[in-house]
Amino acid sequence: MTATVPPVTVPTNTVPPATALPRLPDEAACLQTVARLKAAHEPRVVVVGNPNTGKTTLINAVAGTNLKVGNWAGVTVEKREARLNVQGRPLLLLDLPGAYSLSPHTPEELITRTALLDEGPDVILNVLDAGNLERNLYLTLQLIDFHVPVAVALNLVDEAREKGLTVDAAALSRVLGVPVVETVASKGQGTGKLLETALKGATLGIGVRYPQAIEAAAADLIARMADLPTLPPHAHRYLALALLEGDPSVRGRLSATGHLPLIDAADAHLAALDAEGVDALIEIAEARYARAGDLARVAVPRAEARRTLSERLDRLALHPILGIPIFLALVLLVFRLTFSVASPFVDLIGGPLQTTLAGWAAAALAWFPLGRDLVVGAIIPGVGTVLSFLPTLLVLYLAMSFLEDSGYMARAAFLMDRIMRGLGLDGRAFIPLILGFGCNVPAVSATRTLERRSDRVVVSMILPFMSCSARLPVYVVFAAALFPRSGSWIVWSMYILGMAVAFAFAWALRRTSFPAEGGGVLLELPPYRFPAWRVLWKHAWRRTASFAKRARTTVLATVAGVWLLLALPAVAGGKFATVAPQDSVFGRVSEAVSPIFAPLGFGNWQATGALVPGFIAKEVVVGTLGQIYLGEQAAAPAPLSLWAGVQGAVSATWDTIKTSVSALPTVLALPRLGTDTTADQKTPLAQALAAAFTPAAGLAYLVFVLLYTPCIVTVGAIAQEHGRRIAWITVAYQMGIAWGMGFLTYQLARLWL
Amino acid sequence: MGERTLDALNPGEAAHVVDLDRLHPLRRRLLELGFVRGARVVVVRRAPMGDPVELRVNGTDLALRASDLLGIRVRE
Repeated sequence: MTATVPPVTVPTNTVPPATALPRLPDEAACLQTVARLKAAHEPRVVVVGNPNTGKTTLINAVAGTNLKVGNWAGVTVEKREARLNVQGRPLLLLDLPGAYSLSPHTPEELITRTALLDEGPDVILNVLDAGNLERNLYLTLQLIDFHVPVAVALNLVDEAREKGLTVDAAALSRVLGVPVVETVASKGQGTGKLLETALKGATLGIGVRYPQAIEAAAADLIARMADLPTLPPHAHRYLALALLEGDPSVRGRLSATGHLPLIDAADAHLAALDAEGVDALIEIAEARYARAGDLARVAVPRAEARRTLSERLDRLALHPILGIPIFLALVLLVFRLTFSVASPFVDLIGGPLQTTLAGWAAAALAWFPLGRDLVVGAIIPGVGTVLSFLPTLLVLYLAMSFLEDSGYMARAAFLMDRIMRGLGLDGRAFIPLILGFGCNVPAVSATRTLERRSDRVVVSMILPFMSCSARLPVYVVFAAALFPRSGSWIVWSMYILGMAVAFAFAWALRRTSFPAEGGGVLLELPPYRFPAWRVLWKHAWRRTASFAKRARTTVLATVAGVWLLLALPAVAGGKFATVAPQDSVFGRVSEAVSPIFAPLGFGNWQATGALVPGFIAKEVVVGTLGQIYLGEQAAAPAPLSLWAGVQGAVSATWDTIKTSVSALPTVLALPRLGTDTTADQKTPLAQALAAAFTPAAGLAYLVFVLLYTPCIVTVGAIAQEHGRRIAWITVAYQMGIAWGMGFLTYQLARLWL
Repeated sequence: MGERTLDALNPGEAAHVVDLDRLHPLRRRLLELGFVRGARVVVVRRAPMGDPVELRVNGTDLALRASDLLGIRVRE
């Protein structure tokens, strides 16, 4: 293995950059690792790169349908892997999360580092952003410190060209000592021969030679590691350097595995270096950047500064005056889009599809009334509830993935950082809160992007106060019934109240259980990029499917439980499943509980009972109120013939698609609340509600619905992210706050209304 | 011009890194992102509410709060 480094040209108009000597790979180690790769039955190719290098798109292009997506053990970070066959040779492709460096700062970076140590990689496939070589090469040089063959995918070369950067892949390959393949993953260019090159050509690269004192200390540490069988031999040099950099996670890992003498030796070296005035952390970073700079100057001999599209977009998106209004308008647009496109499908699932299915089930199970009632009264509505979430979530996830992958979410964090600071949070925490207005469930998952655990918990706990779209129907119905003239104001004030309570609660949490952790805040602003539709769709689909899987059991169990309580008679002589609601166990329990709500103005069993299904999904409150007040027959719809059912379902689906598509142009129109237009003609339910609730009690009911216990699926999401304890604490707190605010509302409103 | 801390620069100005405060909470991260001695940093803009501040170093855009700029010393 020989390679010569071309002379480095130093631009004269800037500070002369330091140059670093290259470090040629150890020949014996090189032969050994390459031989091991050749002999491996199923070589493990790990894919590593900075965030925003188009790595996910590249993996999709290379692996196609063989890609399996799961989770890394114990954490909620996606794990993508694929078993492939390259020219008759099997290989395992393992995609590691994006990382700027191997000293981990985020859960993703920790996974990447741990996998490089423990997964026994045979080849490291390093994905680089051709438009940002110097920063990307920092990671490459860290990877070369492993004794693992490396191959490089030089991605986004088209984008670099637009920026005025022409990268010479051959030159880069020469000075790095490893194969370099140019790719444009989004168009599938260069992806075909990538793995072949990785298997055949990957080799140890030309790394960094650190200052003499540091190399000597590293050599001593490596010598000490030779006798320690538990340390992976391919990582000795990396571990030695990480110890000298004072990497806390490597120190923690080594001390946990009983390598204290090694840490002591590293500390002795650091003390000696410090006495000589050498700060190892800085010297190592500088040596890497000096080398990265040299490499970049060789690979990109000429660069003309061109104003990029990203910069032009940011002039608008981050404009001092227009920036925030643009952000708010985009958020509004996303919710309008979600509502317009998804709500016809939600109605379809909740209405015609469920009725049809219930009709078939009723006909098929006519010989077995109890089973029929269970299926029609519990299982179909339960499944229907889960399904009815899906259109909203799918559209919301699509829009969210678009904003994330395009780079806009990072700008939103930049714009909103100042506002979140008062709560000890940073701008990134604003994104889950905004998503919460659409649906709390994806919002809880979105807290993963926050670095500190206390931040994630605080945001998750205040999230359910963000009024999700499922609560809107409740407001609309009540506003139309009780406040025909000021309906819009009532609805808007619910949203504002939710936010105010959320911020106050966050403030209180910070004062008590979850003090802000401090530490600096660094926000990345990656270049804008038009996301690949296929990747967006896959993301959104996977997230929606995992929601359905998670929600299925809890929702079914809760719906079945409510059905059972409604079916069980609580009076002598009552018959199972035919008892009137107020005589069922459900009715009696609701009645027993209802005095609790007397100070809130709605201490009757009907209003109390309707809150229970709201725990499953908040929009169900309206349906339940309808059943209770109007005595609608929920169970046993008229049986339909199979053919009529299919016809009905097909035509309803077709109508839904037409409605959805025709709603698209109106997305841009200003939002208008339905309450004002329907004020004159009250529905039967509105009339019933107007008779049952005083305005003050209705207002208190709305406040209670806004604030009480998050729906069961959100609780499940919180439990999954932060554990059951936090989830139950959230439920309990919210009940208390909802009662208190409802009480205040009723008592104050009584004075005015 | 002598040495200043990065928060003293106005949008559009640029300077070269001299060093990072030893106690800077983001020291390790900033070094990895290229805030090494001699690196050129451009102050791109301030956020609409005055803070944080967008910087460009090494072809990468990132934002830091003004309080975290205090620990970064630069010269022209």
